[in-house]
Amino acid sequence: MDHIKLIRNKIDINHIHQLIIDQSCGACSVFVGTTRDHFEGKKVISLEYEAYESMALKEMGKICSELRIRWPTLKHIAIYHRLGSVPVAEESVVIAVSAPHRPAALESVSFAVDKLKSSVPIWKKEIYENDQIGEWKANMECPWPQFTETSSNAFEYSLCKIERQVENISESKLVQIRVSDIELTRRIKCFLKRKRDEINLHNIIDFKQQLRDSPRAESMLPKDSCARTQSILVKQQQSISHIKVHRAFEDRRQTRPDYSSQLNKLMATKHKHCELVKSNVLKNARLQNIEEYMRITPDDEDNIYNRIKNIENRILILESTSPEYKYYIKLGKESNNINKKESKKGLYQSDRLSEFISGIKRQYEL
Amino acid sequence: MERTSSVVNINVLFFAKSRELAKTSRAEFTVEPVVKAGSLLIQLIESFNLKTISDNLIIAHNENYIENLEAEIYLCKGDEIAVIPPISGG
Repeated sequence: MDHIKLIRNKIDINHIHQLIIDQSCGACSVFVGTTRDHFEGKKVISLEYEAYESMALKEMGKICSELRIRWPTLKHIAIYHRLGSVPVAEESVVIAVSAPHRPAALESVSFAVDKLKSSVPIWKKEIYENDQIGEWKANMECPWPQFTETSSNAFEYSLCKIERQVENISESKLVQIRVSDIELTRRIKCFLKRKRDEINLHNIIDFKQQLRDSPRAESMLPKDSCARTQSILVKQQQSISHIKVHRAFEDRRQTRPDYSSQLNKLMATKHKHCELVKSNVLKNARLQNIEEYMRITPDDEDNIYNRIKNIENRILILESTSPEYKYYIKLGKESNNINKKESKKGLYQSDRLSEFISGIKRQYEL
Repeated sequence: MERTSSVVNINVLFFAKSRELAKTSRAEFTVEPVVKAGSLLIQLIESFNLKTISDNLIIAHNENYIENLEAEIYLCKGDEIAVIPPISGG
């Protein structure tokens, strides 16, 4: 059964609990929303709720139907919302459901709370200690544009605390801006965006300067770089990070984590680690690393398109086999040198398995 | 739909901040019977001093949200239009 109510008195949670418990249900989930006593450092002394009552009830009914579609096992649903003046720390909303099993009960309540906050026409006004007029709030979940005129929504003061008030700012540095709040918000947003862009640009320039620093680096990069390493950390003045490094030069030749030796370990195979490419051919170091990794011997060093095509072909083949491809491919040549240690590890490869089976067969035949 | 007259009288409801700005929770309003939601909203904003929150409002027609301001609304006498500022229940 669905119990939907807007009430002007204190919500009795026990009563709601009694409404929803059922012998067939092993789970009751109850969400209780209570009123907070502060907002952005302002002390809230009371809250005022109002609703478009007929429509609110209708929307709450819709929530119930949606819950029952999504979680068909739900037995009872109760949604109670308080209206009128609500003292701080009292219940403003209670959503409770019962279901045979816990997941449906827990998930559906969470869903219902979100839904209520985004679709039921109820409004809350917070009355502050030193500001009797109060402020109409807006839920984050509310799907249409929220107030921008109030300081609360325009700027997150809590994120940028003013720790030290600068005194004696000369008057000449202050500018009075007379615009509407919406315009002011827009300007602040523009300012933030511009600053962000500046920082981004700065990062890119740093990156480029880095390349210019070393004349050799210039030559080893293709024109349109796809570099992903050479990073620079510049500690900013306000930064409280403990990292002291300002610049990090990553060795271009080791851009890839050493998966290979890790895989070798796991596969219990001794495999020669890819040797790093000599510096005079650094231009194509990454491509060469890939080729080596894929066991391709380039027939034409200069024709980069051909080489890429070869790599693509190889990847296509590998994708159609298995991730352990290189061990299977290798095995034909190296199966003779397999050392004893490996077998203890309990790793079997298809070739060796068939060898093993045919060995047993032979034994039986004898 | 039959149009007997070129305008209809509807009831407009205001809530929360819009109620405070309009200084009433309920008003009668005369409007053409087929109107775009956006145009109706603009007329209400003009007539009821709602400019300061004009960007934050939506309307509901007979207790249903009109989500698309381009949608045309067919109004009958006595229909209920609610001016709905951002909600904050919960």
